[in-house]
Amino acid sequence: MKLRSLLLGLALGALPMLHAATTIVRGPYLQSATPNSMVIRWRTDATEGSVVTYGLARNELTSSEKAQGVTTEHIVQLSNLKPATKYFYAVSGAPLAAPDGKKAVAEDAPGRAPINSFTTPPAVGPAKPTRVWVLGDPGTKNDIQRAVRDQYLKFTGSRATDLAILLGDNAYPDGTDADYQKAIFEMYPETLRSVPFWSCLGNHDGKSANSITQSGVYYDIFTFPTRGQAGGVASGTEAYFSFDYANIHFISLDSHDSDRTLEGPMAQWLKADLAATRRDWIVAFFHHPTYTHGTHNSDREKQLIEMRQVFLPILEAGGVDVVATGHSHVYERSFFVDGHYGSSETFDAARFVKQKGNGRTDGDGAYRKPRTRAPHAGEVSVVTGSAGHASAKPVTLDHPVFVAAFNEPGSSVLDIDGLKLEFTFINDKGEKRDWFSIVKVEGSAASASSP
Amino acid sequence: MDATFHPRRRQAQRLFSPASSILRFMRRTLVLALFATVASVHAHPEIDEALARLNPLIAAEPANAALYLERGELYARHEDGVGAEANYLRAAELNPDFPGLARARGALALASGHAADALPHLDRAIAANAADAEALLLRGRARGALRQNAAALADFNAALHHLASPTPEFFLARAAVCANAADAVASLDEGIARLGSVVTLELRALALEEQLGRVDAAVARLDRLAAQSERRETWLKRRGDVLARAGRAGAARAAYTAAVAAIAELPRWLQQSPDTTRLLAELRRLTASNS
Repeated sequence: MKLRSLLLGLALGALPMLHAATTIVRGPYLQSATPNSMVIRWRTDATEGSVVTYGLARNELTSSEKAQGVTTEHIVQLSNLKPATKYFYAVSGAPLAAPDGKKAVAEDAPGRAPINSFTTPPAVGPAKPTRVWVLGDPGTKNDIQRAVRDQYLKFTGSRATDLAILLGDNAYPDGTDADYQKAIFEMYPETLRSVPFWSCLGNHDGKSANSITQSGVYYDIFTFPTRGQAGGVASGTEAYFSFDYANIHFISLDSHDSDRTLEGPMAQWLKADLAATRRDWIVAFFHHPTYTHGTHNSDREKQLIEMRQVFLPILEAGGVDVVATGHSHVYERSFFVDGHYGSSETFDAARFVKQKGNGRTDGDGAYRKPRTRAPHAGEVSVVTGSAGHASAKPVTLDHPVFVAAFNEPGSSVLDIDGLKLEFTFINDKGEKRDWFSIVKVEGSAASASSP
Repeated sequence: MDATFHPRRRQAQRLFSPASSILRFMRRTLVLALFATVASVHAHPEIDEALARLNPLIAAEPANAALYLERGELYARHEDGVGAEANYLRAAELNPDFPGLARARGALALASGHAADALPHLDRAIAANAADAEALLLRGRARGALRQNAAALADFNAALHHLASPTPEFFLARAAVCANAADAVASLDEGIARLGSVVTLELRALALEEQLGRVDAAVARLDRLAAQSERRETWLKRRGDVLARAGRAGAARAAYTAAVAAIAELPRWLQQSPDTTRLLAELRRLTASNS
């Protein structure tokens, strides 16, 4: 017994030394946020335990959660959290609480891990003003990516970002772990510590990942819900999934590496997922755009054609409001449209534009849509794939479905407040280059044209 | 979690359909084809970008099989089967045992609809690494396409041992080569046990349960799906349909009535949606017809 106590004491005594010798080389970063849970991940340069100490005040980290075993890749899920609540947390290899377990961990205590914070998503259903940062094809690791980031941070200022969405091609050129380290983890470190990031798979991510086997860097780095834990119907895969935030239902599809046929599991799941949601807003995102005449051409490329011909009809029938994509390194934004699944030459504005105008409250007026989930009531498709760079070569940007198009670096901002949605494109100079609004109208008050 | 994961593991699995005669022609005219792939113009800008990086490397190291494999995979990803095959053949000429090459060639042949051609490549890949889950999966698919179901099943089962996160697609593919419907249901249930009550697996199992006359088991699946859904009305309606088809009119009517009640619990704005009002009308008709 004495020997066991001695060994235990030695082991415990060694923990602080291990902790001191270990460096966090990635993160912490937040994943799979729900009103009651948060996954916190980080990487250390040497194996150690995985402990998150957290609490409701910076100087009162009174709770802790740990994962079993020792590792360099740390994944800890916090559960039983309160919705819409700010939590402070610190990650470490061993519990931070004082040995007597009574004292709180003070922020300035010597040798303590840095304290970060996050706010849990609100309860699902009721509206809450929500800001989403949308980054398409960001992963160039260069000054343009940095400028786009900085201009968004300047734009949002003290307004907190509630969640961030990566539209794929997150890390060039090959989506390797090293690419991700530079393009994501060293590019957005502060944001990653406080804002949950969601993603879809891009073709460059797909160079180092495989949706069929759910393996590779992309699938190693991200933790996404496969069992409907964050809302929506269980997909059984991280390649495509859905989640809820307040009164918004988000859908992430894999346009690169999963079966894109109508009979395939992804399409089947999507139909069931759309039929199951009760949220006011539906926002879908995936990498390959349904329409583009930017650095890619949706008339000629297989993935783009299939997403337009197979998945867009399902989404529009299910009441989608906004479809956000990347891949084409430009910004292109459609009219309020429905039903156009052919090539650009077959686009007939009289037939496919549900409401004319630019959708701007300070222009032609916001797009209006009945709140009742009417199929094919109109959606806006946005290609925002220039968070890392725009095209160096001239691009035509002449697809007739679009009302606005720019060959400029930038990222997009999605703001939803109750029954109003606002979408804004901010370029790398901080200029607000495009914006539009959609307003959900009770009953049958939505008109077929802009007010 | 493997930080050393190699980018070349990614395989070409998208469907494209170059004619087999073209592929055979490519084998005979390797040099011309290689030249053509280097010089061709593509709709995909990233092919051009990647070629701009790869071509000088290949020019500098013309005997490097890895570079040809990489270029072949680049073409395969963009559904250029001719370009992919030409580069794979060159890589094979330089080093037939280069890691990943046999699997890539098998994947390409399978994706182009030539399952029989895929088999020798995949056999070679598995011989080199019996734990290559991706190659086992691909061979399972190839054998399934050739109706060698028992062998396909063996491959899928072997792959499962090496897959940390099998997908719904995996279990659906395995179920498709099972000897009978009961085995297929068991196979799908193994997937459900691992992945949860995934709608795609449950629906396939549901169809098989009905085929087997297992009405209660089919209904239990619908109940599971309804339990995880915020909108239960469509699942309850399907429950009624299954029961009606089984001749259980009373139980069917109860399910339809429950679906109507579920609609009544929806927020008013969702009750007013065209889909919901259409469903409600149909449920009322079905309730009456099952009285």
